[in-house]
Amino acid sequence: MKLFSTEKMYTLIIGSGRLGASLANDLSEQGGNVIVVDRDKSSFRKLSPSFGGLTVTGDATNLNILNEAQIKKAKTVIVVTNDDNVNIMISQMAKELFGKQHVISRLYDPDRQSVYEGFDIDLIYPAILSVNEINRLLKKHNKETD
Amino acid sequence: MKKHILLIGGFNKTLSLSNSLIKKGYQVTAINKNYDDCQKLAEISRLNVIFGDGTKPFILEEAKIHTVDIAIALTQKDEINLVICELCKKKFKVKKAVTLIDDPKKIDFFYKMGVDSVVSAINAITNIIEQQALLDDITTVIPVGEGRISITEVPIPAKAKTVGKKLLEIDLPKEVIIGCIIRNEESLVPRGDTRIEANDELILISSDKQEKAIRQLIGEG
Repeated sequence: MKLFSTEKMYTLIIGSGRLGASLANDLSEQGGNVIVVDRDKSSFRKLSPSFGGLTVTGDATNLNILNEAQIKKAKTVIVVTNDDNVNIMISQMAKELFGKQHVISRLYDPDRQSVYEGFDIDLIYPAILSVNEINRLLKKHNKETD
Repeated sequence: MKKHILLIGGFNKTLSLSNSLIKKGYQVTAINKNYDDCQKLAEISRLNVIFGDGTKPFILEEAKIHTVDIAIALTQKDEINLVICELCKKKFKVKKAVTLIDDPKKIDFFYKMGVDSVVSAINAITNIIEQQALLDDITTVIPVGEGRISITEVPIPAKAKTVGKKLLEIDLPKEVIIGCIIRNEESLVPRGDTRIEANDELILISSDKQEKAIRQLIGEG
């Protein structure tokens, strides 16, 4: 794969909240190329001082902003704003308009899952993850008390 | 069975749409997430009003979404309208989903996502303003097909150089056809050999270049 080694592969993170920013810090620390988009400039303060990626301020539901964030060159697009509807629209735009293979999105409300049907978008449900984790802890506690 | 129409979001638009739809005999339900707006909407007789967020499936179920024939998303946010339409189409198999759109660049994308009809207020309004500003002699311009096609009424003044000419002698842009001529309260479907008379009213159907066509038709010789 030497042929491609000169070409930088970006990870595009949309939404610089707690999840988006800590993900960006992590990836950047591991040596990845990261671009973070958020419509609020002050949310980039959550990025660590050693963050080596780029930031773009703007509304990512706007096609111009997505282009500015070089979505065409991005290998993976991670959509983690704090609004389910915005996440749905941006991840579907990344799939349909830009033909991105790898799109990861967060969905707070599992009831809306059917909207993602027919799209190959990887989904994360914080509610379900927390439930599973708490269940695991409960089982552990029960075992300990037995 | 009355057709059931569901309106989601948008206070003033819902207000006037529901009034006119109820008058036409439809069964209308409105969903709004502003409580004060809901109370005002509830004053309309025969309108079902539901207070809640239309992007939540259980709110749509409360609005008896399974009986809905047409769902119309009227909120101001594109992403909310898109999610509403996708829920209606994919989860609840509503026959027709219509949405307003704010950003005209996303019209094609919305169609791709399965929305049946995307209405861009901005496109429609700019078209109308353009036409009204450019051509004040024209009485009515009706945009159809999301403003891609317009139907225009053109009165022919007596001094126009087209008076007495056959249609085939007038070199109209090919985007424009004369669909009908109204002459002395009667309407006739024109053919190539129909002559234009003074005070005729021409009904133009055009996809583009109607300004040029109108200038040709009413221009003085």
